Amino acid sequence: MNIIEIRDLKKDYPLGDTIVPALRGVDLTVAAGDFMSIIGPSGSGKTTLLNVIGCIDLATAGSVKVGGREITALDDRQITDIRLNKIGFIFQTFNLIPVLDVIENVEFPLLLMKRPAAEARRRADKLIEEVGLKEYAAHRPSELSGGQRQRVAIARALVTNPDIILADEPTANLDSVTGASILELMRRMNEIEKTTFIFSTHDANVLKYARRIVRIKDGLIEKEPVAA
Amino acid sequence: MKLLLTIAWRNILRHKGKSLVIGIILFTGAFLMTVGNGVISGMAAGVEKNIINGFMGDIVLVSDAQKSDNILLNMMGSSIEPINSYKKIKEVLAAQPYVRHYLPVGKNLAMVLDENSDTPGFAYLIGVDFAEYRKMFPDNFTVIEGSYPARGERALLFPDFARGEFFNYYNIWFVPEGGRLVKENLSKEALAAINTLQVSSSAVMLGMSSGINTTSDIRFPVRGIIRYGALNKIFGHFCLVDIESYRECLGYFTAADMAAQVPKEEKQLLGLEGSDLDSLFGGDSMIVSGYKKAPLKIKAKKIVISNTEDGTYNAVFIKLNPGVTYKDALAKLNKALSEAGTGVHAAPWSKASGPMGSMALIIKSALFIFVTLLFCVAVIIIVNTLTMSALERASELGMMRAVGAHKTFIAGMFLGETAILSSVFGGGGILAGILAVRLIPLFRITTANDMLQILYGGNYFNPLLSLSGVLLTVFQLLVVTVIAALYPMRVAGNITPLDAISRD
Repeated sequence: MNIIEIRDLKKDYPLGDTIVPALRGVDLTVAAGDFMSIIGPSGSGKTTLLNVIGCIDLATAGSVKVGGREITALDDRQITDIRLNKIGFIFQTFNLIPVLDVIENVEFPLLLMKRPAAEARRRADKLIEEVGLKEYAAHRPSELSGGQRQRVAIARALVTNPDIILADEPTANLDSVTGASILELMRRMNEIEKTTFIFSTHDANVLKYARRIVRIKDGLIEKEPVAA
Repeated sequence: MKLLLTIAWRNILRHKGKSLVIGIILFTGAFLMTVGNGVISGMAAGVEKNIINGFMGDIVLVSDAQKSDNILLNMMGSSIEPINSYKKIKEVLAAQPYVRHYLPVGKNLAMVLDENSDTPGFAYLIGVDFAEYRKMFPDNFTVIEGSYPARGERALLFPDFARGEFFNYYNIWFVPEGGRLVKENLSKEALAAINTLQVSSSAVMLGMSSGINTTSDIRFPVRGIIRYGALNKIFGHFCLVDIESYRECLGYFTAADMAAQVPKEEKQLLGLEGSDLDSLFGGDSMIVSGYKKAPLKIKAKKIVISNTEDGTYNAVFIKLNPGVTYKDALAKLNKALSEAGTGVHAAPWSKASGPMGSMALIIKSALFIFVTLLFCVAVIIIVNTLTMSALERASELGMMRAVGAHKTFIAGMFLGETAILSSVFGGGGILAGILAVRLIPLFRITTANDMLQILYGGNYFNPLLSLSGVLLTVFQLLVVTVIAALYPMRVAGNITPLDAISRD
């Protein structure tokens, strides 16, 4: 079953009087439970593609279906609800809420969903344990290392049991050992939670973790190489 | 809500500098708004207590022939038109349920004559029935020397402020009949000249009324020296005299004239021979020149008249029942007076008191503008600081939006931050303001300036805060908070998840 179906997706950015095409007709399908990597050089359009899939940016043209629902014609409230309920995000710069501690950061999306506080805390506790940060639960992000912060971000992305987790260069700001451990963790969570993971990278070392690799260049999907 | 307030509170602590700036503005604004409201309330209460309840009532009836409604502090020499239809007026007033008290008065300027001086002095006279005056204004002044006149007694109550001024100009020190010099009541100048002090227990006054050349010089026995409880430097210019002597002094018809058989020669002089005298006062065709009577060279008569209402007056002071809507009462009263053909109209106290009422209004307006400006400045600074804060936190806010926070959550978080700052600092400012309003009267800050006395609402600075005044300040603070948060909320709400990524 396909969790994502993209047809002829185009995305243009105006730059003064000129229009810069970031995506020039992308067709892509992603199966549920996949662990997929989008690779390509800087400026190839991989972040734009993730942003459109994740309802962070709007398509200029084409069709994007997430969980069978067309997302290109939704209003802000509906799109926000999709981000909250269907999609988890892991950012390159972790993007945790600085005034909340680890456990509060992880349970934050559940509280936005108006889940009971006790239930949210239980779920957050479980995920923090799974990402190996149980003893750091009461720490603020500023008291954690980069790798630890990214683990928190992974736990937060998983906490709502989303259909898809999108990770934009999740290891770019980490050293190679920490980056590898994060990818291991993502892969493990993919296996445990059965959540679809799509992550972008331009690091060739990352590719060995992906079950499927999509190469993007100049805003177009190239022929898929064989997965590792 | 708990999550929202938790984040808001921690953000305040995280951005201590900005929070402190906003907090200080809110504290100062709330403090000044509270004190400002206290001053406005104190002034309103002072005006009500001292001017309305203590001197002239809420409404003053003046003749339709009167050019200006300002009858109290009018220019020296401009006389107040007479009212000869009090019987009709009284009937109208008695039928108005919103009217609590009314008092007909005479009010005009008189020349104070002194055989030792070529230059006459001047005094404002208010002619009243002393017994009725006390019912209307029971405690507006204290008799510091002598006594309060009995009903119908011919007498003059001289204000101590005017006494001091008279001494300075004419070297005469008034004391009540049969009274003695009270050293502690002497002015500094009088005390310095105590050995050569000329003391008098009566004042000869000649009424001044434009268009009348028939006024009489009347010797008024000084019955008492009075001191007004507040605004003594303004009210202290007005001498209270019995209404009959006042009428004689001004050449008006007295009640005695009306009660007595008018001699034939006087009727001839008046041109009333053969006419119905009653119709003169009741008829609609009454004209101003008709009230004058011939010169009789009257000196203060010893006749005691129990009912003085039949003669001429210049105004009627009216107090309204508590809770009555002022504008409605004024409109209803004017309608009733007009329908009854009384020849008078109702003027608000603020107009009748001339510059005093205008100054009270100007000061009140100035204070209101000051508080409003303060309000606007506070809003602008807070809006600017919060907007900058929203833009600086675009990455964090965008990330919240990315993980599913709606615009309303972000806006609510900003409102929460502003509300917490308002509650803590603004609340502190209000409490400090209340404390200041309570403490200021204890210092008994006085002023020699008459107009500042109006601002003070009395002889000393006496701001006042009622529960409604405090609630008004809380409401103003609430409005400041909401208005100040609106634009930053919008800015923060419009931050997109893309902003979080693009600013990384």
